[in-house]
Amino acid sequence: MRLVGVDMKNEICEIIHNKELTLGVFEMIFRSENIAALAMPGQFVHLRVNTGLYPLLRRPISIHSVDKTKGTVAIIYHIVGKGTEEISKQVTGVIDVMGPLGNGFPKLAGKKCAVVGGGIGVAPLLELSKSLSHCDAYLGFRNCTYKVEAFENSCNKVYLTTEDGSAGHKGYITDQLKKNITEYDVVYTCGPKIMMKKVMEICQLNNVECYVSLEERMACGIGACLVCACKIQEENGEWHHKKVCKDGPVFNAKEVLFDD
Amino acid sequence: MINMEVDIGGLKLKNPIMTASGTYGFGREYSEYYDLSKLGAVVVKGLTLKPREGNKAPRIAETPAGILNSVGLQNPGIEVFLQQELPFLRKYNTAVIANIAGNTVEEYCQMADKLGTSIDAIELNISCPNVKEGGVAFGTKCDSVYGITKAVKQHCKVPLIVKLSPNVTDITEIALAAEEAGADCLSLINTLLGMSIDINTRRPILANVVGGLSGPAVKPVAVRMVYQVAKAVNIPVIGMGGISSWQDAIEFMLAGADAVAIGTYNFVNPNAPIEIIEGMVQYMENNGCKSLSDFKGKIEI
Repeated sequence: MRLVGVDMKNEICEIIHNKELTLGVFEMIFRSENIAALAMPGQFVHLRVNTGLYPLLRRPISIHSVDKTKGTVAIIYHIVGKGTEEISKQVTGVIDVMGPLGNGFPKLAGKKCAVVGGGIGVAPLLELSKSLSHCDAYLGFRNCTYKVEAFENSCNKVYLTTEDGSAGHKGYITDQLKKNITEYDVVYTCGPKIMMKKVMEICQLNNVECYVSLEERMACGIGACLVCACKIQEENGEWHHKKVCKDGPVFNAKEVLFDD
Repeated sequence: MINMEVDIGGLKLKNPIMTASGTYGFGREYSEYYDLSKLGAVVVKGLTLKPREGNKAPRIAETPAGILNSVGLQNPGIEVFLQQELPFLRKYNTAVIANIAGNTVEEYCQMADKLGTSIDAIELNISCPNVKEGGVAFGTKCDSVYGITKAVKQHCKVPLIVKLSPNVTDITEIALAAEEAGADCLSLINTLLGMSIDINTRRPILANVVGGLSGPAVKPVAVRMVYQVAKAVNIPVIGMGGISSWQDAIEFMLAGADAVAIGTYNFVNPNAPIEIIEGMVQYMENNGCKSLSDFKGKIEI
């Protein structure tokens, strides 16, 4: 929930833990009672990489899970460039965090749900799956898996695929979803664009409501700079550029127009 | 008692710290972080006569100590600004400066008419590198800068600030042309045209191929241009380009800026403008300065 008035601030948070989960994928846990209390599944935090001027921009990272009693927040990130590489080196000390930012996944009571994650897109779905009464998880990885057990604890069933067959079924997670799609009322997805497009297609064909979490290069993270544009279709068929950071990152799939 | 007031071409500001157009939306987002009434002025996102969707994403590429952007003037249009955004900003005790951009001289004039006296000043954007027509095309030749400034000045009922492009051979010629045409104030610099390529895909990172460079990387260029322009003209100058600390703000003012704007660094530290105001007060106290004129332009060569 976004607070009205001068209530938002960036916080200097103590890093509790920052460790590699699997090849190039790290989990960081930091202390923030404020973020742990307010965060909704699907929201993100905006991290200052270091106190210097390069990398200059903050890095937006989805919230993986929160512990409200301990007042801690966990994020999972993949090293994709200089910013995430720098963050991975900070194993102790403090980190400057803005958040929670953006709009999370809408939770629809009493529905049969599936969460469909690909690669690093698996991370933001855990907290959501915990909050849903009936939820199956579809987790797709290239080769290295992570946090599968956590989903097994929070979901009815977990379907796992890897592209090289090293864990679960060999192949793509969307093929698993396709087989069972008629069992669900709502699908939530986060992952590579090509996977989310396929999930949206499967849901559309079967009249299943679908929510997608988009990713785009960001700067401010709060809706002021307009760099993280995505194409969103209105009910009258017109499209407009919306902000992934503030209008999203979660959108109803039927509004999302992907550029090829 | 320290007096931070400054007059920028007929508009009096409580302090010389402003936010740069295009980095601050219409102030709503940052109003959740601090009281906008603490600012000297808010310069709003570049406005056009009709709404604009802007360029395709990706619109940003990070570079060493800087960013390249190619937003392409996405904005809801001047009517929506007047009806929905301006009333919000008017709740605060800060000056509101409208940055305007058009495809033709007539469009700029029409926008000045529509804005009337509802805002405190107009910043003429003739330096946006990210749109096909207008924008920077007006800002890189002396005769076109003179022509558009003179035309808009006749329609402008508030102080007219002309924002200069650094993508020129001699910025002082452009500055003098704007002054001669009746500009009340100059602001500089807009972004430097730049480009960045992904070596793996061999494609430009920005969908628009090129974009405007801003952030600490451009600061020395901006300081040099402010220094040259402030010496050349007799109207106030607003300095901007990579300011990320109060020390940077003081540096611009020593170079001759009457006021300064914070742009890219808002993205890094949402409280930057407030911290810069506080740092500047401290600097003035420590150096026995009672007003800005005690150090403005006081570079010693």
